Amino acid sequence: MNEASNVLLSLQEIGLCYERRGSLFKRISHEILRGINLDLYRGETLGIVGRNGCGKSSLLRIMAGIMDPTSGSVLIEPDIHRAVLAIGLGFRPDLTGRDNAYLSSILQGNSKKQAKEYLGSIKQFSELGDAFEDPVKTYSSGMQSRLGFSTALFSHVDILFIDEVLSVGDGYFQKKALSAIKEKISGDQTVVFVSHSSASVKSICDRVIWLQDGVIKMQGEVTSTVRAYEKTL
Amino acid sequence: MTFTRFLSLVDIQARMSLRADASRFFLGYIWWFLEPLLFVLIFYFIFDIVLESGRSDFLLFLICGNLPFMWFASSVSSSALSILVSKGLVGQIDIPKAIFPMAKIQEGLYKQAAVFLLLIAIVVSSGVAPSLHWLWLFPLIVTEYLIIVTCSLVGAMLVCFAKDFTLLISLTITFLMFVSGVFWDVRTLPNPEFTELFLLVNPLAFLFDGFRQVLLYNQPLDVAHLARLLVVCLVAAALVLGTMSRLDRVIATRVLAE
Repeated sequence: MNEASNVLLSLQEIGLCYERRGSLFKRISHEILRGINLDLYRGETLGIVGRNGCGKSSLLRIMAGIMDPTSGSVLIEPDIHRAVLAIGLGFRPDLTGRDNAYLSSILQGNSKKQAKEYLGSIKQFSELGDAFEDPVKTYSSGMQSRLGFSTALFSHVDILFIDEVLSVGDGYFQKKALSAIKEKISGDQTVVFVSHSSASVKSICDRVIWLQDGVIKMQGEVTSTVRAYEKTL
Repeated sequence: MTFTRFLSLVDIQARMSLRADASRFFLGYIWWFLEPLLFVLIFYFIFDIVLESGRSDFLLFLICGNLPFMWFASSVSSSALSILVSKGLVGQIDIPKAIFPMAKIQEGLYKQAAVFLLLIAIVVSSGVAPSLHWLWLFPLIVTEYLIIVTCSLVGAMLVCFAKDFTLLISLTITFLMFVSGVFWDVRTLPNPEFTELFLLVNPLAFLFDGFRQVLLYNQPLDVAHLARLLVVCLVAAALVLGTMSRLDRVIATRVLAE
């Protein structure tokens, strides 16, 4: 199989600029990304590193199909399910952990039946115990990220986007989550992993992109790219 | 996303919210009936006891207008912020944003089904005999549902572009309460041309009057007008759903930038 047919998603000359209304007549314009060219291959784990505010999350959202770029184009294979796993987001605080897990699972493309079947595994992996039946508003941020991670783990998305999610929760769960991701990656799961922490990127990624001020500063092999990024910190 | 999947997601969310809501309050599901009834009592106290409306059937008259109006008002106002407060989910998955207001509308629909049963029970227990004529309630209810969908989606969408619209939405609802004949009779206006105009221009006034004509007075409806209204509302709701699906990612970008 040639390389081109293995491209799941391709970004071409992506630019993102957004205007925010400060008040009635004042418009604040931000250029977040410019001239981004990027191919994502089936089965790879791509790391995106960069400091806070460099445009990592925006790039991730464009790749995940949540936002459209203001310029450039996103080419994607048909019928690809994508979902972003981010810290403590995406839950309805009034609903229980169980209801939220069920809802997220269906939103991420599972059928009702599949989602019901996964609930047991989600409860077990998240180690929430009886709290699984409590409203999410009673959860700590660590508990929320455990629930979010476990829900994403048991859903069948073609591309999983992970946004900084491993940086919260206790050390024990972080290790467990990391090894679960590694296991998933060893199959044919395609993952885009965003982090400002270079350690976890080094341990799981095949290829890294270093984003700085909205442009790709460097990309390629993990060790050298991460080392170059670390020098600027 | 297929339409059946969309509807099933809307339904799941609505049921979950209802359950969560019921478990939050000591009186649980009883509030479904209690809340609208208390509102009716407030209006009754002000307009019949304090201001002496002079109608012998004022309470029934009021219930037939106020309960359907509250369905409209609570659906539209609870939908207004529904997309904004779902920012987390909006940032995670590319899903149709209409799901959020539609889930609120569905929640309201389930509650209102119970309220309509209550309404009928009250009317029957006050001595009005049920008749086949009451089947006209169905097209009235469907038309009101379509109006609710249209207004709620437009409102929820506008709020994503500027939060200021939440204020305008609540002002508009208050305005509509006064001009739709909720606690006064459009048919008793001194100038009959005004009555015609109100019923023609304000679909809510036409519907609330329709509920009364059917349930209380056993009078025929202006069927041609109702049919036209139903078609217009159907087209409007479909147009709004279509527009929203085209603007899905624009809405997401706005919500995430908030």
